[in-house]
Amino acid sequence: MPDASPLEAEVAKLIVHTLYLKIDPAQIQPEQPLFGEGLGLDSIDALELSLVISQSYGYQIRSDDPETVATFASLRSLCQSIEKNRTK
Amino acid sequence: MNTAALLGSYHPENALAWQDGRPITYSRFLSEVAALADRLPESPTVINLAEDRYRFLVGFAAALIRGQTTLLLPSRAPRALAQIARVYGSSYCLADGQETGKGLPVVQIPVGGWSAAPNPKVPHIPLDHPAVVAFTSGSTGSPRPHPKTWGSLVSIARSTGARLGLKASDHATVVATVPHQHMYGLEASIMLPIQHGMAFHVGRPLFPEDVRVALAEVPSPRMLVTTPLHVMACVTARTPLPQVEFILSATAPLSVSSAKQAETLFETSVYEVYGFTEAGSLATRRTVAGETWHVLDGIALHQESDRYLLQAPYLPEPIQFPDLVSLQGPHRFVLHGRGTDLVNIGGHRGSLADLNHKLSAIEGVRDGTFFLPDDTGTSVTRLMAFVVAPGKSVDQILSALREVIDPAFLPRPLHVVSNLPRNATGKLTREALLGLMHELHGKDRHGD
Repeated sequence: MPDASPLEAEVAKLIVHTLYLKIDPAQIQPEQPLFGEGLGLDSIDALELSLVISQSYGYQIRSDDPETVATFASLRSLCQSIEKNRTK
Repeated sequence: MNTAALLGSYHPENALAWQDGRPITYSRFLSEVAALADRLPESPTVINLAEDRYRFLVGFAAALIRGQTTLLLPSRAPRALAQIARVYGSSYCLADGQETGKGLPVVQIPVGGWSAAPNPKVPHIPLDHPAVVAFTSGSTGSPRPHPKTWGSLVSIARSTGARLGLKASDHATVVATVPHQHMYGLEASIMLPIQHGMAFHVGRPLFPEDVRVALAEVPSPRMLVTTPLHVMACVTARTPLPQVEFILSATAPLSVSSAKQAETLFETSVYEVYGFTEAGSLATRRTVAGETWHVLDGIALHQESDRYLLQAPYLPEPIQFPDLVSLQGPHRFVLHGRGTDLVNIGGHRGSLADLNHKLSAIEGVRDGTFFLPDDTGTSVTRLMAFVVAPGKSVDQILSALREVIDPAFLPRPLHVVSNLPRNATGKLTREALLGLMHELHGKDRHGD
């Protein structure tokens, strides 16, 4: 993951650890889709991820926020939303 | 002809649904239902794909009036609709957005533009009308239909409401995190409200913050219809929920400690409802009061050799429990876990035999099996799969699986192996699969 920012590397680790994915966090490409065909995550994962993101960064994810679909599109967009909304 | 009213209580100007913070009244609902019923095509069966809970109900009620049966799709897999369409070829779909009918005609449930019918009458539906057909996955790869009469849906809604002490005069509002195209969702977020003069929120909140916002959009008293996953998410996030009278949880058992935390944190009472597709909801418990389940009025349990059966006036014959239970007389029981073939991933139930059947049916797959490892802790434990498929890549097999199984059951990970550790009789033991898992995960463990 040579083009990943420090936050992206950190959140990639968080995703892998939270969801017990059997992959190396460095394998997650920042622009790769997290859901469906990409990493294959689903709404159960979204719920679990939202909890650790709120605990780690104080960002409460909401799905009626028009940005949420974009938020979960990729590791990069997720990190951009965290950066924008984080309180810790 | 014996009938039951579509609505258990009718106060025309009361709210039935809350959409974007605005109420939709019971009288407007009846007008919309009557107008849609006139426009529905002739067909015995309909697949209602509406995402909005209120518009789903308008379509469901219009179909009931026309004597049509609503088919509940067996899973969220893309092929599920096509599979049902093959069997029920004369069906059409009801939709409220961009849903496609996979070859079946689609009728849109219109939004707005209604002229209110003067003094609409509450329709009565024959008790023996097959209102819905729910499906279980069976073990052969094809979904097995379970017709539900209108009488059974009404009876379950009324006995559940009686157990929870719901009164029409309270005019409580349900917020539900569960889909309405599913037996529990239909029973608890549609039938329960309309049979008790209640209201519901049209949405389906996912994240704890969504749940808080949805609850805040509706008046008190409130009832949250949800699953253990969402209860635990709200507890973990310590979401400042508005006052909720009840939390009703189903689809998987909630632990007593989680229920205690939720009751303390949200100053509420947590109830669970237990049921399965073949029988519908059949028992409740106040989780903090202990592990015993109390069956709904009219239901009786008995044992025949090693089988546990339940009877209800609306069931044509006794039905066997798919889960392991022990009886405490005819009206109480304790759950001891799932039957060996059943899996429950984040509230989605499936049959391992059915999943294995679908895996083996994929072109190029010679042998394969799903496997549920032991719990990994707080996270939802996922299935994994071992597949023998020379020349096929993991991605190719996953793409094919994604078409035919519910996303919750997609294996994590899927391992392509040269052969499965079958014993002399061709069986795959849990020990052998655990051994294979440790061997594979030891090999590609990443250094973190």
